[in-house]
Parts: sequence; structure tokens; C-alpha cells
Amino acid sequence: MSKKKQRVTVELTRRDFLVLGGTAAGSIVAAQVLTTGVLSPFGGLKQRQVTGEEAPEKASSEYHWGMVINLEKCIGCEYCQRSCSATNDVLDDKPWNIVVEDELDNGQRYFFSRPCLHCQDAPCVEVCPVQATYHREDGLVMMDYDRCIGCRYCEVACPYDARKFNWADRSDVNPYIPTWGTAEVERRPRGVVEKCTFCNHRIDAGLAAGLMPGVDRDATPACVNACPVGARIFGNLKDENSKVSQAIANNPTLRLREELGTEPSVYYIPPKKEA
Amino acid sequence: MATVALPTKKPSLITPGFLGWMAFLTLCIAIGLVSAYEVLTKGLSVTNMSNTVPWGLWITIDLSAIALGAGAFTLSAIVYVLRLKRFTPIVRLAVYVGFVGYTTALLTLVMDIGRPDRFWHPWVYWNVHSVLWEITWCITLYLIILAAEFLPVITDLPFFSRWPWMRRFAHAVHKFAPVLAVIGLGISLLHQSSLGATYGILRSRPIWFKPSMPIMFILSAVAVGPAVIMAIAFITEWATKRATVPHDVLRAIARFSGFGLLAYAYIKMWDLAAVTYYGRSPQVNQGFAMLNEQTPYGFGFWVVEVIVGIVIPAVFFLSSRFNRRPVYLVVGALCAMIGVVANRWNVTVSGLTVPLSYSPGVLYQSAPGSYSPSLAEWGVAIGVIGYALLLLTLGLRFLPLFNNTHDEPSKS
Repeated sequence: MSKKKQRVTVELTRRDFLVLGGTAAGSIVAAQVLTTGVLSPFGGLKQRQVTGEEAPEKASSEYHWGMVINLEKCIGCEYCQRSCSATNDVLDDKPWNIVVEDELDNGQRYFFSRPCLHCQDAPCVEVCPVQATYHREDGLVMMDYDRCIGCRYCEVACPYDARKFNWADRSDVNPYIPTWGTAEVERRPRGVVEKCTFCNHRIDAGLAAGLMPGVDRDATPACVNACPVGARIFGNLKDENSKVSQAIANNPTLRLREELGTEPSVYYIPPKKEA
Repeated sequence: MATVALPTKKPSLITPGFLGWMAFLTLCIAIGLVSAYEVLTKGLSVTNMSNTVPWGLWITIDLSAIALGAGAFTLSAIVYVLRLKRFTPIVRLAVYVGFVGYTTALLTLVMDIGRPDRFWHPWVYWNVHSVLWEITWCITLYLIILAAEFLPVITDLPFFSRWPWMRRFAHAVHKFAPVLAVIGLGISLLHQSSLGATYGILRSRPIWFKPSMPIMFILSAVAVGPAVIMAIAFITEWATKRATVPHDVLRAIARFSGFGLLAYAYIKMWDLAAVTYYGRSPQVNQGFAMLNEQTPYGFGFWVVEVIVGIVIPAVFFLSSRFNRRPVYLVVGALCAMIGVVANRWNVTVSGLTVPLSYSPGVLYQSAPGSYSPSLAEWGVAIGVIGYALLLLTLGLRFLPLFNNTHDEPSKS
């Protein structure tokens, strides 16, 4: 009886060893790739579970540009939308930056505005098949107009309706120029998707010239400069002394559709309810 | 061995009816070319798609063409992986129809993207987390597999007798048909379901965001794809008055499709119950209430998708009273096709009709979408359908799709 059992082990040939060894090695490699490698869909999740509420920080530089919009202060003048449309030469069919009238659940009216929220876990970045939209180290969600194929999946995926497509070649006269500013960036070509950039051309040029975005006007997004009541504040979320960080620390704030886990870089100070 | 069938084939290649049909298809393609020129010169502004409804008729055609081409991987897997040899006579046709379906989808996709000149970007610039990237890769790889599976059919044409090395190469590749079928099965399961995931993963869209989306897409494709092949075999028989595939094989395929449709119906009803009773959220409720109020959503779902698309074909395919008569099988297959196309349309358009709501207030939400295809969109649609039918007609006429001596496993 014991003899029979022994023979079973002896019957392992070299080939069997190779097969079994290869299987084991392959499993280890596969496990590595799938659990910690680039293919792992759980990488971001794990980090968030470990650190509790903390979001995976995409902004790896010393800056994370963010905005605070004070709905208590907003008077609905649309200056932000107009200066944005002039500065970024946006076609009037759908502005990058919208201003609309809204209502609280008690019927109280207020004005609501929305740029691109530059989400740190952005659905648009996830779905783009060619990485034409991507995270910059300073937290901005950017578009590469030279890479975009115009599939419009990002437009479908954005929870905040912040993206627009160039349906035709542009030959229009921008009604906001020169009253509200001059075009500081090129018109986008037909067939690509575009959206608010937080005026990254001002941020980049400003930092290079030693200016601080959010403090120095030349380095600050046009919408923030144009607001006559100071309802928009811009700055570095990583600097706790910046105006945005102070505003977030000293006021009740909310972010849009927080339950989706998109981690927007734009915070809102909600309007106070009248008694 | 391929020459045996040739003498009987010579007569009646080109009949008046055939010429008329070809003239009709040429007209369709001409309409398509004119429309495509319009789109390529003026841009997508000639369509009725908008920033609210950025996807429409063309995406529906993509999804439908790929779903209806699913017979290729299903029947290849049945023959080469499950080794059910009696289905061998239909594999060539299935692979050919798959090839036609996938090229149709790619053609439409190139029209649909804003920058057709950058169609190659997904191959070069990778985003491994994007389902659309994965789908593009799968479709490309699967087209190569289909071409490899189909190569011997082309090289066996008398025309290729002058280059015997081509024939030898094609048959050498075809030796790997079982391997190709396994890879094709994997890739197909992946991208057929990912087409559903394209919608299912979007957390911002209340009526799309559910894990059942990919399951429903793949089940409907596996169920209806083979029925399409079966119907094409019967219709070819009627048109050419020549036997194609043994009828008991076609009936078996119909029964397979029938059971597939029942499985699809089961998941569809489970999904309906799950969404209605378990996954109920204010946004989902609002979305469906709005769709039922402002669009014929209920009609599209119950009448077209469920009754026409599932119940009628399932009865025709499974009840022995009907499935002995080819006419019922063909009508059933057409109904099932209508059901799948309607489903892809309903998923796309209704999901985009439900407005996004993201403001902290109660009043503002983005405008609900409304969409009906423009003339240019219909023109391109007619063109690509004409292209698909032309390729099918020419293939069925001039390629030995039913002459399967090489695939007999006993002889190789």
C-alpha cells in the first residue's frame, strides 16, 4: 500500500516539475501585476480606505489650485461668465462658466455658478481612451487638444456638464471682446472637446514671473478678477495660509455631488437660510 | 477538393433580380458617400447631436453591428472549443458576417469621432483604465482574428492558384483555428460586455449606473448573434434556391438563440425589479418618471424590446409548432434583431435625455436632452447599412461560404 503511494510521487517527471513551477511562478507574477501593478483597479480605493476620509491626492507638486465660490455673496451679474468667454474665446452656445438662478428648499432664491471643478478623481480622465484629458501635478484637469479624438465620452461622463464639444469650425465674432477682455488663448479646432482650464496660461506665466496665483491679478483666473463682489476666491489649497484655505477653514463649505467621490477642487459657501 | 462544387455554381451568378438588388445597394452607398462628404467637410454640426446628447444614431449602429456580429465568436466557440462538429458548416458564414459587422462598426465610429484623422490614437496613447480604450483594442484584435480564421476561404478561390505559397500560409494559420477561437472568445466576452460597461460605469448618470449593464449587453449579443447567421443562411437559400446549411443545424441554432433570449429576459426582468425595488434612489425615480412622461420609454421597453425582441422570437425559436417552418425562424430572427437595435437606442438616448442635476439647490438642473437624427445622420446610416448588405451579398455570391471541406476535423 505504501509502495503504491510512493510510486505516485516518483511519477512526477521533469516536465511536470517545469509545468508546476511555471504555474506557480506565473501565478505570483499575475498576483503581483493585478494587486499592486498598473492593472490593479483597487490601487486608489485601498489608499482611501486606509486613510479614512482623505482622498487620494493627485496634486503631487507644492500647489493644488482650488477655488471657493461664495453663493452668499453672488449677485448673478454674470461678469465671471463674460470675462471667461472673452479671455478663453469661448463660443456662446455653451459657456465654460455658467451662472444660473437657483432656489433653496425653503423657496429662497440665490445665484449659482460653476466653472470646471477640476476633480481629483475625475470621471472624464478615467474614461478618455487616449489620455487627452489628464491630471496635472498641481491638481488641474487639462485637455490636450492635439491628442483628443473627439469621441465625447468625457462629455457624457462629466457629472457637472462642464465640457463642450467643437461641433464646427469657428468663424464667429466673439461678442465679449473687447468689452470683457481679450482672447489670451487660441481657439480650439473643430472636433475636440474643451472646458474651463482655471486660466492655466495665467497660472503658468505668473509663477514663472514670480507672481502668486490668487494674490496677483495677472496670475489669477479671469472670472475671479472680474467678480465685483469678491464671491470667487482662488489659490493654493496646500498652503493653509492662502485665501482659499482660510475661507474653507472659516466657513461652512460644500462640494457638488460629494457622494460621487469625484473630489472637486471647487468649494462652495452655501447661502445662509433666512429665518 | 474545392473544385467539386464549381461546375454547379457557374450558371445564374448574375440574374436581373441580383442586378436590381445591387443597383439598390449602390444607391444606398451613394447616399452614404454624399452624407459622409457633408459631415467630413462641415463637421459634426450637420448632425442633431448636441452637448446635451453627444451620442445618437451612429453609436446605436456601432453597438448593434457589434452585437449582431456576435454569432461569429459564439459559433466558433461552439465548433472549435466545445467541439460540436455538426455546426461546422455554418462557421465560415458566421465568421464572415462577424467581419462585416465589425468593419461596419469601425466605419461608423470613424464618422462619429470629431477627428477621424486621429483614429489611430488609442493604439498609440494608452489609457488602460478607459473601457473605450479597451473596446478599441479588442475590436482591432478581434478583426485580425476573424481575418486569420477567414483567410483560407479567400486563398482557396481559383484566382489564388497562381500563388500556392499564399494558400499554404493561410492553411497553416488556419491550423490554429481552435486557439484563435479561444482567444476570440475571451476578447469577445470582454468587449461585448464592455460596451454595456461604457454606460454602466458612469456614476453621474442615474439610469445607466448599474452593474447589470454589461451582463445584459453580452447576453443579448450571444442570444441574437447566432440567430442572425441562421436567418442569413435561410434567406440565401430562398434567394439562390440552393441548399446552404442542413436545416436541422439551423433549427438547433434557433433553439440555442431561444434559450439565450430566455436567459436575457430573466436578467432583464431581474434588473427591472432590482432597479425598481432595491436600487431605488430619488434620482433614479425622477429619471424614470421623466422618461415615462416625456418619451415613449414604456412602449419602447415593453412592446419593442420585450414583446417583439424577446417573447415573439423565443416562442418561434422554441416551440416545435413554429420552429419547423423556416419562415417563422427568419421572422423570429428579424424580431430579435429589431429588439437588440431598439435596446441599444433606448439605452443611449434615454440615458442622455435624463438631465444632470448637480446644483446644491432644488430648482436648477441642466436641460433634459432631446434628439432625433438629422438628414446627414440618416444618410450615413443608410450608407453603412448599404455597405454591410453589399459585402454580405457579394460574399454569399462569390465566396465558398458553405463549402466547408477544409474545416472537417476528421479529414485534417
